[in-house]
Amino acid sequence: MSKKKRPVAPGGRRAPGQKQVRKPVSGTPAWVAPAAVAVVLAIIIGAFLIYRWYTTPLPLPSPSPNTTAALIAQVTGLPASEFETVGLGTADKTRLTKVTGTPLVGATGKPQVFYVGGEFCPFCAAQRWPLIIALSRFGKFSGLDVTSSSETDVNPNTPTFTFRRATFTSQYVDFRGLEVSDRQQQPLQTPSTAEQAVWSKYDPGQTIPFIDFGNLYVSSGAMYKPEVLGGQSWQAVIDAVKDPTSVAAQAVIGSANLVTAAICKMTADKPAAVCSSAMIQDLETKLP
Amino acid sequence: MTRSQGVVVALSVAGVGISIYLTLLHYAGFAPVCPATGAINCEAVLASSYAVIFGTTIPTSAAGIVWFAVCALIAGWRAGPVHLLWAAVGLATMLYLVFVELILVRAICLWCTAAHVLVVLIALIWVYAWSAREAAAR
Repeated sequence: MSKKKRPVAPGGRRAPGQKQVRKPVSGTPAWVAPAAVAVVLAIIIGAFLIYRWYTTPLPLPSPSPNTTAALIAQVTGLPASEFETVGLGTADKTRLTKVTGTPLVGATGKPQVFYVGGEFCPFCAAQRWPLIIALSRFGKFSGLDVTSSSETDVNPNTPTFTFRRATFTSQYVDFRGLEVSDRQQQPLQTPSTAEQAVWSKYDPGQTIPFIDFGNLYVSSGAMYKPEVLGGQSWQAVIDAVKDPTSVAAQAVIGSANLVTAAICKMTADKPAAVCSSAMIQDLETKLP
Repeated sequence: MTRSQGVVVALSVAGVGISIYLTLLHYAGFAPVCPATGAINCEAVLASSYAVIFGTTIPTSAAGIVWFAVCALIAGWRAGPVHLLWAAVGLATMLYLVFVELILVRAICLWCTAAHVLVVLIALIWVYAWSAREAAAR
């Protein structure tokens, strides 16, 4: 028996007994949910980036030339009693390793301290303080300038100095300070073939800061954590370093004493005024 | 196995590999040095006090190994609440670790970032698969 079609009333209205058929409603496209998740993630990470930008310590304003000179005079003119009181402090002496090789001599024929670093690097920023303080006990710097480490790296804007235009004169030791990168990590100074050979020989990983003490010892890395200098002004760091009980003094002066002991070994304990101190003699026995 | 499930398995395997590498780096220790080229510093991130699971000495990258391994195991199931919940765990952890990198440690580890991208991709695939299944069921 054939099925009779129910007639449709004029105007499209339902005939009696005919069920209303709803037109299918289009659902939310499948891509909407993952897109929403991606947008929320992007907003949250964007908020992190904004917060980071907002809370990054501002670059330290560069002091005037007169102020810079005063800062350097303070750093390089610390009293001997400061060094004696601090001793090794909190310096990490495992940064130093004993090496063998032909004695490294500098331009004037004296044993040479050879430093490689970068202005962006916060560990170099930390290590320059004790290196400058120690070397100033053996000679005199000129051409030092202030700078701070990269503002986009760990320990941003760590106050420090730069060797890029520095010279050092001494009766006892030569110094060669090489800054291979500037604060924006752009190439700055290029090691000579001989300097590159020394750096590669004792530090195949080419890490910085690297210090060669006359091919007697090498130091890789910072002897204390840059957090100690924590975005302070140079004067604030110097004021802290002048107090031998402060965290900064224990770290910076302790590291300077360790560097001094290594240099004294290079110079056969000259000058006596520096190297004959009981504290330095004791540190020399603790060297590797 | 569908194509998206296969992709999730592949991403999960890559995630396990990266997490294992990061765990090895964590235990290798960290020297206070910069690479002379100034490249982004994984060691600073992995050696930070935030790189271990709260109250333990277990590196967070080890938790990443577990997360990605579970992803590989459940990838063959049809996308459902379990996947969404697991994705939420991964995304929440990823956001916390990005916060640690950007705000607390202020150093970016590219390997960590690669793992984070894999977490996001897996989560988005599962959300899409679930959403498509719901749309088809309506």
